[in-house]
Amino acid sequence: MVQIYKDYKDHTEFLTVYVREAHPTDEWQMNSNVKEDVCYAQPKTLEQRVAIANDFVKRFNYPTQFGIDDMSNAANDAYAAWPERIYIIDERGRIAYRGGMGPFNYHPEEARAWLAARYGEVKREASTVGPDKTGAKREK
Amino acid sequence: MLKWVGVVLALLILAAALGLSVVAGSIRGAYGLVRYALPHMHRGTLRVGDDAPDASLLALDGSSRFHIRERTGARPLVIVFGSYT
Repeated sequence: MVQIYKDYKDHTEFLTVYVREAHPTDEWQMNSNVKEDVCYAQPKTLEQRVAIANDFVKRFNYPTQFGIDDMSNAANDAYAAWPERIYIIDERGRIAYRGGMGPFNYHPEEARAWLAARYGEVKREASTVGPDKTGAKREK
Repeated sequence: MLKWVGVVLALLILAAALGLSVVAGSIRGAYGLVRYALPHMHRGTLRVGDDAPDASLLALDGSSRFHIRERTGARPLVIVFGSYT
């Protein structure tokens, strides 16, 4: 997603929303997260969510606007977002693109195709931001 | 008869466990998928053309807030939901 952001930030707003952890240490932890030293328990407080979100942004110098879902998971519930999902909202406030539910149907290239259809193909210099959990390493 | 029903059920459970293990990468992964992931995974009801729902979000500073709707209007908004792990 970082590369898509770099390519289309002149045309479009980008917002990343942090929702409940997908693979925390006290639930379904992945070996890959241990190797990458991404080990967090599921936050029990909003302050813990804020701390993890800040760790993420700092580690990857993540460039987009960033918001954190409440402990009530209101944004997550409204968008059926967990564990990861992409939407595009048009200028009229309507859903223009609805991505599939991650991880199996999480396809940032579909969002790129929507943007390319509207603004043309854009491909700037490749991102120097490291792999992230919001799709950068999966982008084809 | 009951014996065969039991055998068939056991085979179905075994096949489901094996299938989930393939999807999740291991038996442990299959357990994690069923125990922790599936309860939170929802297809959702939003469709293209629907009004985008609003929600209040906390900023990274941990104190200020904004609404998703505040970021829409002038240009399209790409929203990416996710977590660190």
